[in-house]
Order: sequence, then structure tokens, then C-alpha cells
Amino acid sequence: MILTPKIVARIVAIVLVGVLLQLSFFSRVDLFHVSPDVLPALVVVLGLLGGSMTGAVVGFSIGFLVDCLLVQPLGAGSLVLLGSGYLAGMFRERFEFHGLLVPALLCMGLTLFAELGYAAVELLLGVDAPVSLLVIRDLLLKSVYAFFLGGAIYLGVRRVLRPALVVEPKAPRERQASILGAG
Amino acid sequence: MLGSFALLTLTYGQSSNGFQRGVSTIFSPLQTVADRALKPARDLVDWFDETFEARGENERLRAQLQEEREMAVAGQVALQENAQLRELLEFDRGPVLASSAYESLTARVVVRSPTIWHSTVTIDVGSDDGVRVWDPVVSGDGLVGRISSVEGGAAQVMMLTDPASSIGAKVVPEGVQGLVRPEIGDFEELVLDFIDSTQRVHQGQDVVTSGWRAQGHASHFPQGLPIGEVTRASVEEQEARQRVYLRPYADLRDLDFVQVLTGGSR
Repeated sequence: MILTPKIVARIVAIVLVGVLLQLSFFSRVDLFHVSPDVLPALVVVLGLLGGSMTGAVVGFSIGFLVDCLLVQPLGAGSLVLLGSGYLAGMFRERFEFHGLLVPALLCMGLTLFAELGYAAVELLLGVDAPVSLLVIRDLLLKSVYAFFLGGAIYLGVRRVLRPALVVEPKAPRERQASILGAG
Repeated sequence: MLGSFALLTLTYGQSSNGFQRGVSTIFSPLQTVADRALKPARDLVDWFDETFEARGENERLRAQLQEEREMAVAGQVALQENAQLRELLEFDRGPVLASSAYESLTARVVVRSPTIWHSTVTIDVGSDDGVRVWDPVVSGDGLVGRISSVEGGAAQVMMLTDPASSIGAKVVPEGVQGLVRPEIGDFEELVLDFIDSTQRVHQGQDVVTSGWRAQGHASHFPQGLPIGEVTRASVEEQEARQRVYLRPYADLRDLDFVQVLTGGSR
């Protein structure tokens, strides 16, 4: 991704809209008693499109912003989303992918990673209440929702950031050599 | 990563700091606008979810309705008796007086935390409206939680399901006291912990705030705010673990408006 001031402004706008949508909409709807969490998926998509550094910076920023807005202890959200964004970026730098299935699967896997990471950080820091087994339902359903929402987020964000994307030109098809007069 | 660890180390255990309050203040108008704009979409998703659930609940609700009808009749009789008894006994309004010191302030819920590890909502009233930290927050059905931090035009509500929430409560009419605490991840059931194992609590009994007062100190919650109904109260659980389970009256997953009880004794 080529980062110009305009593209950075677009990324900031995407982040702000994503955070507002999460806190005002997705957090407040329940599907089978679980609210979707689109922020890890958004970080993964930006990591996939922009690389590991972009993914890590965006992940840290989104986690920091959410913790500030909800007046929660700072750092935990930043740490796990930073990791998700970085891993998504690393995937993009090492593997080639086409279509929507890979982004959707990555959104699902890395959302699970982020939710597990957040739970681990909270447990390491100490929680004052017993933990219900329903936490597992929450983790799994959030990952499933991320799979379905991840594809849509990928398409939307790619469209907004299209001018910055470096698309490698398709290699011309090699013409098969033929021997004149053969056959 | 170093930044994340530094933030964790510096800020963990603090309820809020000036920087967070500043960011929250800047964003609160945007959040209010987003909340109102997205309400129809939220309602649509909720409608689908509730339709799925309604199928299973229909039968249970029919049975419950029959039971409630019988209880309503019994309740009417009890109300008449209560009025008469109050006159006769010159009812000591001590605890009721304490609760009447509160004034209710209606607020709109604009934001909810996306994680189950911090069960908080943000409301659109704050210190400018007289809201202070520790003010109780209720919905039309029962207790929701308390104010955990406050800015000029917004405040954060720590709900009953937040891991840090712990509220003194008692079972009525027996008066068995304990602490209402959550189980992380479960929004439909709370735990009444540390109860006296020599007294028995039964399924269906109501749990309300205890609102204790002792040696010049008082609970932040007025006495008698409804919290929930006991759903599981096995003898083994009460004797071995000194706990029973209750369902909160307030629907903590679906809050649009709440009331903050301001001006009480602190």
C-alpha cells in the first residue's frame, strides 16, 4: 500500500467509522445472546491490505481508542489488536491469495486469537468474579460472525483504499511454441 | 508492544484518567448521533433474534402467566392489608425515607462495551446534570448497576454483570443477606454469594438491595431496589458454597433508557 496523506486520512476515517459502528451498533445487537465484534476483523483487513506495519499501528490505535472511549484499563485491547494486525500483515507479505475466502477465514481465526488473547490478559491481571463456561460460546460465535462479516468488510475497505493498493499486473500468458509444419 | 505493556502497567487498577475522560468527552456527541441513527437497524436485528427465541418461550410464558394471575390476586389482597397495617403500626419510614432522598434522572444508553470482560455502558448524562460516581442506575425492571466514572455530558455505568461489580443484597421476605456478583460471560444469571448457610433460600424469591447503614457509614444503594428473582437454590449449593443463583429483572443486554438515582446519601 502506498501511504499518502490522503490515504492515511481515509484509514483514519475507516477506523473512526468502524469504532463508532462497533460501539453504537454491533455491541448493542444480540444474535443468539452474543454481540458481533467487528474490530478485530477490521484490523485484519487493514493488515491484509497494508502489510504488517499498517496492521500493527491500526490495531494499536483501535484498541487504544476503544479503551479510552469506554474508560477501561488501557493497553489490553491495544496489545491483542496489534498482534492480530501484525499477523494479518505478515500473512499478506508471505503468501499470495485471491478471492474472499482467505480474508474471511483469517478474520475468523484472528478474531478468535484476539478474543482469546484478551481473555488471557484479563485473567493474568486478575478478575474478581468467577468465569462462566458461556465465555466459550461468546468466543466461538464472535469468530463465526467475523467470518461472515469479514468478507464484506474486506470488500468495502478495499474499495475505499483502492487508489493506494499496489496491484501486480497479471503476467501475459505464454504462447505455446509450435513447430511449423508439425502435426 | 512496549507501548501496550507500558499502558497496562501505568493505568491498570485506575478507574479513569484525565486523558480518557477527555477523549470520551470529545466523542460523546458523535456517539449520541450514531446511537440514534442506528436505532432502526438495531431494532431490526433484535427482532430477528427475538423471533427465534419467542418460539421456545411461548409455552413457558403461558404457564408463567397463569401463575402470575394467581399471584396478582393475592397481591391485591396483600396491598389492602398493607395499607391498613401501616396505619395501625405507624409505619417507620426509615428505609423508605432514605430512598426518597434520591431523584431520578432519565438517560439514554449510547454505547456498550464490546467485550464481556468489561460490562459497561455509556449514558448521555454526566456531572453537568448532577450525576456522580457511585450513583445507582435502574431500568423500569430493576437495578442495572452504578456510575463508575463521569464526565461533563456522559457517564459510564458499571453493570451488575461487570467482573468488578459487587452489591449488598438480601432475599425477601426472609432477609438472608449476601453479595450479588456476576459470572463472567453470563448475562442471564447472577450469583448471590456469601449467604448464611443456616437459613434457606427458595426458588422464586425476590432479591433486593440491602441498603445497609452502620456506624455512620451507609451503602451507596437505597434499600429495597429490586435486583432479581432466585432461579436456582439447591440445598447442596447453599450449604457447601453459600450461594444461590438469580435472574436479573433488568434486561442487561437490551437497554435503551435507564434512570440514574442522584442526590442520595453517600
